[in-house]
Amino acid sequence: MKYAVIKKEDLNKWFEYLKKKARLYAPKKKENLYVFRPVKEVSEICLDYIPTVLPPKKYYFPQKEKLLKFSVQPFKTAKAIEEFEEFILLAVHTCDIAGIQCMDVVFRDGPEDPNYLNRKEKMTIIGIECLKYCDDKANCASMANHVPRGGYDLMMVDIDEKFILHINSEKGERLVKGVAYIKEASDKDMACLEHAREEKKKIFKEEFKASLSEVYESFDNNFNAKVWEDVGRRCVACGNCTAVCPTCYCFDVLDDMDLSLNEGLRYRIWNSCQMDDFAKVAGGEDFRKGRDLRQRHRYYRKFKYPVDKFNRYFCTGCGRCTRTCMAKISLIETVNALVEENAVSKKNTATAA
Amino acid sequence: MKKHSKPKVAFFDFTDCEGCQLQFANMGSALLELTELVDIVNFREIMSEAGEDYEVAFIEGSITTDNDVKRIKRIREKAKAIISLGACATIGGVNGIKNRSPLELAKQRVYGDKADTVNTIKTMPVHEVVKVDYFINGCPVYIPEVISVVKCVLMGKPYIVPNYAVCVECKMNENVCRYEKDQECLGPVTRAGCNSWCINYGNKCYGCRGLVDNPASAGQKDILLKYGITLDDILQRFTLYNDSMGEKYDKDLKQ
Repeated sequence: MKYAVIKKEDLNKWFEYLKKKARLYAPKKKENLYVFRPVKEVSEICLDYIPTVLPPKKYYFPQKEKLLKFSVQPFKTAKAIEEFEEFILLAVHTCDIAGIQCMDVVFRDGPEDPNYLNRKEKMTIIGIECLKYCDDKANCASMANHVPRGGYDLMMVDIDEKFILHINSEKGERLVKGVAYIKEASDKDMACLEHAREEKKKIFKEEFKASLSEVYESFDNNFNAKVWEDVGRRCVACGNCTAVCPTCYCFDVLDDMDLSLNEGLRYRIWNSCQMDDFAKVAGGEDFRKGRDLRQRHRYYRKFKYPVDKFNRYFCTGCGRCTRTCMAKISLIETVNALVEENAVSKKNTATAA
Repeated sequence: MKKHSKPKVAFFDFTDCEGCQLQFANMGSALLELTELVDIVNFREIMSEAGEDYEVAFIEGSITTDNDVKRIKRIREKAKAIISLGACATIGGVNGIKNRSPLELAKQRVYGDKADTVNTIKTMPVHEVVKVDYFINGCPVYIPEVISVVKCVLMGKPYIVPNYAVCVECKMNENVCRYEKDQECLGPVTRAGCNSWCINYGNKCYGCRGLVDNPASAGQKDILLKYGITLDDILQRFTLYNDSMGEKYDKDLKQ
């Protein structure tokens, strides 16, 4: 079975079933926004939501994560966590699934990161496809992440009274197999899916003024572009943009002794290139002193460096950095401004030649 | 495990409400664990003895009289390590409001015709008078940070107070931004280390930990304007705790 269907009236029954299978995390309303939380009551689950404050990365790359237990005398080290628990991420947008794929590339790149892989192994991803924009901050169509492109176990697509479930892995299949109210999709259901996708093409349009390859070229050719001055002037280095980014993976490692002063834990904790002291080294030299240079670095870590290294854009188009920025620095506007600068400088070079 | 000789620890208060010492006294079981590691010889909120032989001195409160200056200098001579405890000691705190008006006027307002009998000087955080080895910011202090600092003292390590904004911790805690809720919050300019304690409980940041070193005044002003908050609004909020540093902050924000 490749595609299955479930009636909407049976959804909560299925979610209860999932809850019994493993720890279930799903989007839930928090004040006027949404957050991923462990599901207590299935009635709290929001399938129609704009990207959560933090992406689900907090479950496979936690904000503060225990790495190692140690004692000083006698000197001993041990795993901080013996066993990781099975968990299901429910109703993950395709942009956030792209984020998980990016993290996978990074943490599987040698030397592999066991802390991430231990959690990843226990993770089941049930995605949900967006059929409309969450808001005007997203640039998922430009990044081609508005449609499912793998990286999930099951994908839910709303086709009126039912949800189509695309079964993409054995893990996913186990969650639908033998469930009486989940049926194989009929030709009619598949036609509905086709129709939903056609309708979607009318709604989602590339948000950047230029194609991704032109965007890449703009980053490649204009390292000293003016746009960074403007962005740097507005930025207050609060670090919101990097905390909410599904593909930011920088961390710091620290040892914390308990009150015996003999035993302790080694942690890793999220860190951000936007912080004042991030690129400061011994001797006081700071490689990215200005907020302009730090913001530029953040963008290059999405649109240039990972493309060169992993052949993959690290912007998922979720729009979180724009949504969370108090200074209203918009990713779409910034990229468009850079594309324009590139066009002008190209024209000038052509004229000079 | 190597037996540590237990350092003798004393608590002294200057101009303050003694609330930070109360936080310490209220620490619960961690306080009992701490007494395994240190000898508390002087702490008037929890004991009647007042030992004068100590190596580590926790100082609560700001320096506001000539007598305070003499007293803190005497403590500095004895103590190997001085720890500023709380907003009054680290940044002047609420008492700093005195520095907004000429000293004579402040005296008149408070003491009326007895003003001449009172000795008072401008409010100063402890480190303006003597060298301070450790800073524990906050009003009141945040107990997990207090414990971290105590461990650093015992291990002879420096404690680095974060130099980034409260927003960093607040976002990790996945709070909904106060600005989303149309509240002015001092998180973006205030030094972190409190794990966004107030916002986690639905409140906003009052700036009790003082400004980050580099508060990005231009960007900050843009933000305030966008949310319809004037610079005076925010400076007024800021003076609640930071008036003793008022001139510096006026300059940083108004430049």
